Amino acid sequence: MRALAAFLAARLVRALIAVWLVSTVVFVVMRLSGDPVPLLLPADAPRSEYARVARELGTDRPLPVQYAVFLGHVVRGDFGRSIHFREPAMRVAIGYLPATVELGLTAFALAVLVAVPVGVVSAVRRNTAVDHAAMAVALVGQSAPTFFLGILFILLLSLKAGLLPTSGRGDWTHLVLPAMTLGAFSMASIARLTRSALLEVLRQDYVRTARAKGLREWRVVVKHAFRNAAVPVLTITGLQLGTLLGASVVTETVFAWPGLGRLAIHSIYNRDYPIVQCVVFLSALVFIVINFVIDLTYGLLDPRIRPR
Amino acid sequence: MASSIPVSVPADAPPADAARGGRVAQRTRRLVAAGAAFVVLLALVAATAPWLAPHDPVRQSLRARLTAPTLEAADGRAHPLGTDHLGRDVLSRTIFGARVSLVIGFAAVAVGSAVGAALGILAGYRGGWTDTVIMTIADAQLAFPFVLLAIGIIGVLGPSFPTLVVVIGLSGWVDYARVLRSQVLVLRSREFVDAIHALGGAVPRIVGRHILPNVLSTLVVIATLQLARAIVLEATLSFLGLGIQPPTPSWGGMIQEGREYLDSAWWISIFPGCLLLLTSLVVSRSGDWLRDLLDPTLRSE
Amino acid sequence: MSGLTRRELLKAAGVASAAAALPTARAAAQSTQKRELVVAQGGDISKFDPHYSTSSNDIRISFNLFDNLVSRHPDGKLYPSLATEWKLTNPTTWTFKLRQRVKWHNGDAFSAADVKYSFERTWDPKLNTRVSTVFTTVERVEAPDATTVVFTTKKPDPLLDARVAFYGGQIVPKKYVEAVGNDTFNAKPIGTGPVRFVSWTKDDRVVLEANPDYFGGKPDFDRFVMRSIPETAPRIAALLKGEVDIVTQLPPDHAERVTGNATTRVAGALYAGLYVLAVNSKVPPLDNPLVKQALSLGVDRELIVKELWRGRGIVPNGPIAKGDNHYDAALPPLTYDPKEARDRLKKSGYKGEEIVIETTVGYTANDKPMSEAIVAMWRDIGVNAKVEVLEYSVRAQKNRDRTFKGLWWSDPTSTLSDPDGMMWRLLGPGGPQDYWRHPRFDELGEAARFSVDQKVRGQAYKEMTKIFLEHFPWIPIIQPYEDYGLQKYVDWTPNPNQALEIRRFAFKFRRA
Repeated sequence: MRALAAFLAARLVRALIAVWLVSTVVFVVMRLSGDPVPLLLPADAPRSEYARVARELGTDRPLPVQYAVFLGHVVRGDFGRSIHFREPAMRVAIGYLPATVELGLTAFALAVLVAVPVGVVSAVRRNTAVDHAAMAVALVGQSAPTFFLGILFILLLSLKAGLLPTSGRGDWTHLVLPAMTLGAFSMASIARLTRSALLEVLRQDYVRTARAKGLREWRVVVKHAFRNAAVPVLTITGLQLGTLLGASVVTETVFAWPGLGRLAIHSIYNRDYPIVQCVVFLSALVFIVINFVIDLTYGLLDPRIRPR
Repeated sequence: MASSIPVSVPADAPPADAARGGRVAQRTRRLVAAGAAFVVLLALVAATAPWLAPHDPVRQSLRARLTAPTLEAADGRAHPLGTDHLGRDVLSRTIFGARVSLVIGFAAVAVGSAVGAALGILAGYRGGWTDTVIMTIADAQLAFPFVLLAIGIIGVLGPSFPTLVVVIGLSGWVDYARVLRSQVLVLRSREFVDAIHALGGAVPRIVGRHILPNVLSTLVVIATLQLARAIVLEATLSFLGLGIQPPTPSWGGMIQEGREYLDSAWWISIFPGCLLLLTSLVVSRSGDWLRDLLDPTLRSE
Repeated sequence: MSGLTRRELLKAAGVASAAAALPTARAAAQSTQKRELVVAQGGDISKFDPHYSTSSNDIRISFNLFDNLVSRHPDGKLYPSLATEWKLTNPTTWTFKLRQRVKWHNGDAFSAADVKYSFERTWDPKLNTRVSTVFTTVERVEAPDATTVVFTTKKPDPLLDARVAFYGGQIVPKKYVEAVGNDTFNAKPIGTGPVRFVSWTKDDRVVLEANPDYFGGKPDFDRFVMRSIPETAPRIAALLKGEVDIVTQLPPDHAERVTGNATTRVAGALYAGLYVLAVNSKVPPLDNPLVKQALSLGVDRELIVKELWRGRGIVPNGPIAKGDNHYDAALPPLTYDPKEARDRLKKSGYKGEEIVIETTVGYTANDKPMSEAIVAMWRDIGVNAKVEVLEYSVRAQKNRDRTFKGLWWSDPTSTLSDPDGMMWRLLGPGGPQDYWRHPRFDELGEAARFSVDQKVRGQAYKEMTKIFLEHFPWIPIIQPYEDYGLQKYVDWTPNPNQALEIRRFAFKFRRA
C-alpha cells in the first residue's frame, strides 16, 4: 500500500506541474491575442479613456508583472473579474458548470448504458448479423466528426422529423440530441473495447474450464468473463470521460448549449482572459482528477495490477 | 499516465489458430489496399480538381442561389449537388475542398511526426531532466481540450496555411514521442546502444540504423490514425471559422456556411459532410487494419 | 368498404378528423389565452445597466426595464414618457416637466434627482460608460424642483428631445445605484419600466415579470421571457413549433418558412439607418474619389436586394436614411453602371492595387455573403478586390485604432431620426469613422448641428449629400427591412430603431 501511496503522490506532483504549464501557455496565448480594452469602450471614446481602463485592468503593465500577479491570484483560486460580465470569473464559470456537468454525465451514462450491453452481446454472438451491424455503427460513430454528427441529428431528428428541439437548454427533450452527439464517440469506443476484451477473456483457460463443466454460456460470460474484462473497459471508460470535455466545446457550440465549452469559445472571441483561464484550469483539473481516480480503481479492482 | 493508452482500440481478438490467422491476414491486407486506394483516389481528385470540377468553385451566380440538386438550373447549368447561398456549385466546391483537407492533413502529419519523433528520441536518449520536461509537457497537452488551445493560437496568429499546419500537426506529436521514447529505452536497457556508442557510432546513425527500423511500422500506423484526426481537426476549425479563409472552399467551411440553410437547402452542408465522414472513417479504419497487419504486439495491449 | 384494410380505414378516419379540426385549429391559432410572452433573439444579453451597452440584444431588454424622458414610438414620432411635456425655453435651454407618482420597481418614488443623476452618470469620466459621448452638446442638467428638469446646452441644440429618447437616455434610480453600487445594480436592475427583473441564466434566458403599477398600464402578459437562440434555423423552428411567440433577426431567406406556416406571419420595419461599406479614405488608392465612385458604380445593389435580401430592402440614394429628417425623396437611388465604373477607374490611374473588404460573420445581417458578392462584382470591373474575415474583437480593435485596411461593414443607426445622429455623429471630425476630411463638409455639419432653423439645416444637408456622393466616405449598399417572425395571435408592430417595444400601446395578445 505504501508503494501505491508514493506512486500516487508522484503522480499528483506531475499533475500539478501539468496544470501550471497549461495555465502558463494559456496566459501567454491570451495576452498575445490582443487588447480587450476596445471591446469595453464606445467606438468614439477618447484615447485618455483607453489608457485609464488599461490601467484599471492592469493590461498596461509589463507581461512578467502581469504573469506574477496572475499566478499569485491563481494559487488562491482567484482568476480575477470577468471583463465582459463584470463579475468574478470563478463565479461566472461556476454558473455555467451545471449545464456542462448535466450534458457530460448524461452523454457518459448514455454511452456506458448502451455500449456495454452492445459490446457483450456482440462478443457472445460474434460474427452474426447483430455483431456486424453493431460494430459497423460503432465504427461510424467513432470516426464521425462531432460537429457534423450534431448537424445530421438536427437535420434528421429535429428539422425533418420534428421529434426534438434543435438547441438550447430546457426540459429533458433538449438534452437528447446533444447527449447523443457528445456520447457517440465514447459509446462506439466502449462498445468495441468491451467486445474485444470479452473475447479475449472468453478464450482463456478458466473460462474453457467453466464451459467444460457444463455451465450455460450466459452464466460463463456474466460470472467469470465479464469481471475480468472489466479492467480495460474501465480504463477506456474513464478516459472517455476526459475526452468528453474536449468534445463538449464543439457540441455546445453546435447546440447552443449554455455550458463551459461555449463560454470558453465566447470568452476567447471576447478576449475575456480571466474566464478563459478559469475554464481551462477547471477542465485540466477535472481531467487530472479523473485519471487519478482511474489509477486508484485499478488497484482496488484488480490487486494483481500494481504500478511499476 | 493512463492517458498514454491509444484511444482507438483494436476490434478483433487475435486469431485462434495459424490457418485462420493466415486467412485473416490476407483479408486485412486486402482491406488496407482498399483503404489506400480510396486515399489515392481522393488525392487524384484533389490534384485534378481544376479539370474534374464542372464549374469554377468560387464563381457566383446570385440568380441561381440555393438551387436544389438539378441538371438544369436557373442559370442554365447543371448543378448535380445543388448551389449554395451565393449560387456557387456545391459539387465543384466539394471537389476543391478535398485539396484543403488532404494537403493540410498530410502536412500536419509530417510536422507532428517530425516533432514527435525528435522529442521522443531526445527524451529516451538523454533521460533525466530532459525526459521529465518533455513528458510533463506531453501530459500537460493531453490534460485539456486541444481545440481551445488551437482557437487561442489561431486567434493570435490569424488563420493562415502555415499556422494551421503547425497547430494541427502539434496536436498529435505526443503519440509519436511516446513510442520512440519507449523504443529507445528498450534498446538502452539492452546496453545495445551503449555498445555501439562505445564503438564510436554517431547518434544519427544509431537512430537511423537501429531505432527507426524497429519502430517504423508502428510509426506508420500512428501516422495513418493521425491523418484521420488531422483532417477532422482541420474541418472542425474551419467549421468554427478559424480554418482556410473564403472564398477557398473547405469541407468544414462549407458545412458552416450551409448550417444557416439546413432546413431549406440541406445539400450545402450534407454533401461535403458525408465525404468528410467517409474519409475519416476509411482512413482511421485503414490505420486499425495496418496495425493488425504490421504490429500484432499493439493489439494485445 | 370490404376492400379497405384496417390501416387504410384508420388513415381515412385520421384525415377526416384532421379536416374537421382544421377550422377550429385555425381560429385558435389567431387567438390565445397565454399570459407569458416568449421572445427569441439571436444572442444573449451582456448587461442590464443601460449606460453600459448599446447593443441591439441588450436594448431589447433595457428599454423595457427602464424609461426615457421621451419615447420614440414605432411610428417614428416622439411621445411623452417619464416627461409629460417639454419645450425649448430659450435657444440653449430645454425644460422637461416630469410625470408624478411614478414608482421604481422597489417602491421608491421617482423624482427629478434621478434624472439629473442619470445624465451626469453617462458622462462621468470615472464610470467609463458606453454612452459617454451621446450628450456632448449638454453643458449641465439641473433639477429645480421634484418634477422639473432643465438642460442647458453649450450651443443651441435643436435635437435634444430626440437625444434623450434613445440610448443613454434611460433613467436609472439614484438612491438604489448609490446604495448597492454599479455591479449589483447591473446584476439586479431596478427601473420604472413595464417589466421587472426576475432572473438571468446566461446564454439561455432572461425572465422578467409584468409591472402591475406601470404608469402606462400593466402590459398584456404576466411574464416576459427572452431566450437566446443564436442559430437561425433553430430560432425559426422554435417559432414554427409554437415554443416562442416572436423571433427577432429573421433573415429574408427564411421568411417563406414563416409565411408558409398557417399560424405564423412576418412583420418588418424599414431599418432606421443604412448598411454601408465604410472606407478608409486615407490609404491609396481609396484616397482617390474617382476610385470610390467607380466602386460605388460597380455594385449591382438591385441584384443584391432582389436575390440576397429577397426584395426586403431598398437601394439608398445617399448618406441619409429614408424616414429621417431631410431625406430627399427626389434623389435617384445609387446606380449600377459597370461601363462607367471601368471608365472612371481608368481615368483615376488605378494600377491594380489590392482593395480589401474586412468583413465579420453576422455582425450585420448578410455581411459575409454581401462582401463575397460585391468582391465578385468589383473583380468584374477590373478591381483587384478581396475579402478578409475578422472576428468581432479584431474589428473592435481596428475600429478603435482606425486601422482598417480598406473597406468594412458598418450599420450606422440613425439615433435621432436626423442626419446629425448618423452621418455627422460618425463621419464628423474626431468621430469613430473619421478617415476623411473636407473643409466645406465640416463647416456645414457643424452649422447644422447647432442651428434651430430647419431650413438652414435642410440646405446644409443637401450640400453635404452632394459632397458625400463625390467622395464616398461610405459606400451605402442597402437600407434593409428588419424582419421578425410572429405568431398570428400576437398583435405587435416592430420599432425601426431595433428596440422591442412591449408596452401596452404597441403589444397585445389576441384573446378569443
